[in-house]
Amino acid sequence: MHPTNLPGYVSAISVRNVTRSYDGGVEALRGVSIEIAGGCVTALLGRSGCGKTTLLNLCGAMDFPSKGEVLIAGQATTSLDDTKLTALRRGTIGFVFQSFQLLPSLTALENVELPLLLAGTKGSEARAREILSWVGLAEKEESLPFQLSGGQMQRVAVARALVHEPKLLIADEPTGNLDTVSGDQVLALLRRAADEFGAAVVMATHSAEAAAMADIRVRMRDGLIQGVEQGRQQ
Amino acid sequence: MKLFRRIVLRPLKADPIRTLISILSVALGVAVVIAIDLAGDAAVGSFQSSLATLTGKIDLTITANGGVDEQYLGRLAGLPLRAKLSPVIEQPIRVADGGRGSATVFGIDMIASAPEQGTGNQGGIFTAAEMETSAVVSSDAAVKFGWKAGQKIALRGRNRTTEFTIRTVVPGQTSGWIGLDLAAAQQLLDSFGRVDRVDIRLEPGEDLASARQAIEAAVPPGYSVRTPSDQEEEKRKMLAAFRWNLRILSYIALLVGAFFIYNTIAVGVVRRRTEIGILRAIGSSARSIEGVFLAEAGVLGVIGSLLGIGLGRVLAGGIEGMLSDTVNALFVTSAPSPISLSPAGLVGAVVIGTSVALLSALIPAREAARVAPAEAMRRSSREHETRVHSGRDLVISAALATLAVAACFAEPVDGRPMFGYAAALLAVGAMAMACPATIVWILRMLRPVLKKVSGAAGLVAERSLTTALARTSVVVAALATAIAMMVSVATMVGSFRETVQVWLVSQLGADIYMRGAGPATAGIFPAMDPRIPDLVRAIPGVADVDVFHAFPFRYEGTQATLGAGVMDIVRRKKTLRFMTGNSDTILGSLTGQDRAIVSEPFSNKHHVQVGDVLTIALGERPVKLTVAGIYFDYSNDRGLVIVDRSTLLRYLPEQPLTNIAIYLQPGADAVKVRHAIEEAVADYPVLVAPNRVLREGAIRIFDRTFSVTWALEAIAIIVAMLGAANALLALVLDRRREIGLIRYLGGSQGQVRSMILTEAGLLGFLASLLGLALGMALSLVLIFVINKQSFGWTIQFHPPVALLAGALALVWLMTILAGVYPARFATTIEPSDAVRSE
Ligand SMILES: Nc1ncnc2c1ncn2[C@@H]1O[C@H](COP(=O)(O)OP(=O)(O)OP(=O)(O)O)[C@@H](O)[C@H]1O
Ligand SMILES: [Mg+2]
Repeated sequence: MHPTNLPGYVSAISVRNVTRSYDGGVEALRGVSIEIAGGCVTALLGRSGCGKTTLLNLCGAMDFPSKGEVLIAGQATTSLDDTKLTALRRGTIGFVFQSFQLLPSLTALENVELPLLLAGTKGSEARAREILSWVGLAEKEESLPFQLSGGQMQRVAVARALVHEPKLLIADEPTGNLDTVSGDQVLALLRRAADEFGAAVVMATHSAEAAAMADIRVRMRDGLIQGVEQGRQQ
Repeated sequence: MKLFRRIVLRPLKADPIRTLISILSVALGVAVVIAIDLAGDAAVGSFQSSLATLTGKIDLTITANGGVDEQYLGRLAGLPLRAKLSPVIEQPIRVADGGRGSATVFGIDMIASAPEQGTGNQGGIFTAAEMETSAVVSSDAAVKFGWKAGQKIALRGRNRTTEFTIRTVVPGQTSGWIGLDLAAAQQLLDSFGRVDRVDIRLEPGEDLASARQAIEAAVPPGYSVRTPSDQEEEKRKMLAAFRWNLRILSYIALLVGAFFIYNTIAVGVVRRRTEIGILRAIGSSARSIEGVFLAEAGVLGVIGSLLGIGLGRVLAGGIEGMLSDTVNALFVTSAPSPISLSPAGLVGAVVIGTSVALLSALIPAREAARVAPAEAMRRSSREHETRVHSGRDLVISAALATLAVAACFAEPVDGRPMFGYAAALLAVGAMAMACPATIVWILRMLRPVLKKVSGAAGLVAERSLTTALARTSVVVAALATAIAMMVSVATMVGSFRETVQVWLVSQLGADIYMRGAGPATAGIFPAMDPRIPDLVRAIPGVADVDVFHAFPFRYEGTQATLGAGVMDIVRRKKTLRFMTGNSDTILGSLTGQDRAIVSEPFSNKHHVQVGDVLTIALGERPVKLTVAGIYFDYSNDRGLVIVDRSTLLRYLPEQPLTNIAIYLQPGADAVKVRHAIEEAVADYPVLVAPNRVLREGAIRIFDRTFSVTWALEAIAIIVAMLGAANALLALVLDRRREIGLIRYLGGSQGQVRSMILTEAGLLGFLASLLGLALGMALSLVLIFVINKQSFGWTIQFHPPVALLAGALALVWLMTILAGVYPARFATTIEPSDAVRSE
């Protein structure tokens, strides 16, 4: 027998019985629990408005539960002050957004370097260059975001999310604004992030391809988890 | 209207702090303009002789250099004119008991001058018996000296003290004066056979022009016959330069305000681009969009102006005192009149404030009208495409700068340095146009340093300023204008002060100075007893006594001062510096000759060169004086003409002494000698001052003169700071997403704060650099064009380096402080909201 459910296991993220209600009285999440493991890709699936983004924000400590708790690397997010939360984001979490969210005034390289600069890491430029070539955009380092295609922008965003080697990569519809080819490239990068960096990749998606490449698929509806499937489908 | 409500009023309400700051910057600008005007009017307000209260309206006044001889009164009375003649004595006098100060004595014929109206039962006329010992005093004098009707007062004349009984206190007077009967006044002041002027009131029906002609024919050619409005005009002219310069300074505060209205509207346009695009797509015309934004500026302008009027009224009260001090010390006697806001002034202020707001909104409103309907569909931030043609702008900048330089060489218009002002304005324009290119260039140079010193905050701060270049340029240009104004005026005043100080040291060569007691006011020279020089000469330790006669005269319709001294002493003591020529030769050529030297302002004002001949009425005769030299002088901008004492006395033997300069023997105990002198002249109404005290006094007056200037500068800087805070707040609001994102990427609240503060600091730094450059250029324009053309003197260029460095550091600090609220606001942005809402 294996002790599967004993609390001694530390997962990358534990969401425990979380409710999140907004000011308008909307309950975006209604008592959700889930453990997210490192080294695999978890996909959140479900209709628009079912609470995916809300859950991702909780996982990234950008938002906090109304009830229940979210533990990241064993620490409850609600117990952390702003300094500690910032430290947590700097060291542990990377974000990728549907609309890329690159800083329009910074070059590709500078966008990637930014998290390291914010964290005050030494040798940030070399590291940023390294990861930029890892996503295959070494020759675009001086380009400004508006000079890049959507796919390239999202790859820069992935590089930026991974530059500090986070344990946790949170991606909200990373392929939502991309064509299939670009989307596949980005998905491949997310896959490699889990495989090569051992990161826990959590992504919300409407795309079948994205769902297919995930190790775990979490189906949501109206703020509840309906079911969890394991195993890649390709 | 609905459009207006939706895209103007709602955003204005949604962003109350920014709206408030915009309104406040207009309000301050308008307030300064109003305050300077109101306070200026009040300070110079009452030229109208206080005597009018006693005697009624005056139609013509006869004056003469050295006084009007009473013998002409008979001749005037014989003219076939229905007119009342009032000979008047008007002189400063010291109040004997307590010696608490001075007042003006008016001597008029108390029998002849019955008050015409309004002042009816004041008992302005004394009974014959009490004629010689009666006085009326103004309410101001009564308050100042603690007098009451019925009280006996002692007045100290030239060499006697006489007691008078106050019969009446005339209420509502703003200057201190004492009215006596003419004969009593003449006796008190030893002024027999002469009066200071003759006031003439024509009976109704008498024609002014022909009366004037008849009177002019009856008096000697050296006499002048003028109407009150002539005199008013003359005084107004005298003050024009001074008031103009202040007024121009006040417009700069308004200009800085205008920059920020531009900024507010431009930000509004950028921010509401999508909204405008949608409105256009659903059928709004370009015109109505433009109109809506102009209306926004109009709303800000009207509210700001109304607020500014109130503020200006308050401010005027604060600076009026400073202004009237200056006016009295440097220009002309005047009692301040109460500050009054005329309805026309009110309307004018609203019109000015609103039109400045509208004008500055014109460009961004145009831009709003040009937003393509398709804009709404495009998601990306448009700011990136608010393209700045920095290359083209640089060319324009160079052209403006060239024009500015050219304008510096143009002649003044009607005595006013119009082209100088134009040059200053062009220089501001040149700076503004050079802004984008300079900002990009400087920021690029700073880039490595910034990244090293403040990491991500530095990088993002620098980049976002470069990206929003159009906006950054406006903010920097506005700040730089305010800073340049501060720098240039500080440099001008500092240079002026240094020049005056150096001049004082060389000019005030004597050890002790004396003058007749009386108000220390420009254009008034209280007389001294002629026995004093001999008394002083007899005191052991005194080497030389230089006596000086000064009195005001009119030349080409403006006031100037005629002086006469012992040129031999001046030559020996080398107290005058000449612009060209050898001072020994020049001064040596004056004695006994119809030759004169003139001050630099006199030479510039009247275009007088060495060798020219001045025709000046001395007594009854016009005298032709050849100009022997032009000397440096900063004592007043009206100008001085100086002749040797022997020359003056030939024409005006009665002209009283006004000043004495005493040189001590080497090694004499200055304090002891001064006490001996004070002892010797104790019975005479004179003032004695050692050199140092006089010099310090002069500098004190100088500093007081420029206190208004500093007050104005402070306000311009405050407007600029408000604008900077406003602009930074706009930058924060427009970058909510970016700031939220930075938090996602591991930025702490502290880093967000330091990012905004770095931006504030960079803005301050850029503005300081550009402001310093522009300020130096403007100070040259101020010193060598505007000041030279307005006042006629040459100021040596002496930038007050330490003061400037301190002021710039302070301004920089204040810009960073202006970033504190926006920075705090930035840290409160909720990252998930900010990123989601995009
Ligand atoms: N800040 C908020 N205030 C109020 N309600 C909110 C807020 N954010 C989300 N909601 C509500 O919470 C619910 C879940 O929203 P969420 O953004 O998590 O959905 P989602 O699954 O990400 O949808 P989509 O697939 O469209 O992105 C929705 O009903 C939404 O209206
Ligand atoms: Mg979502």
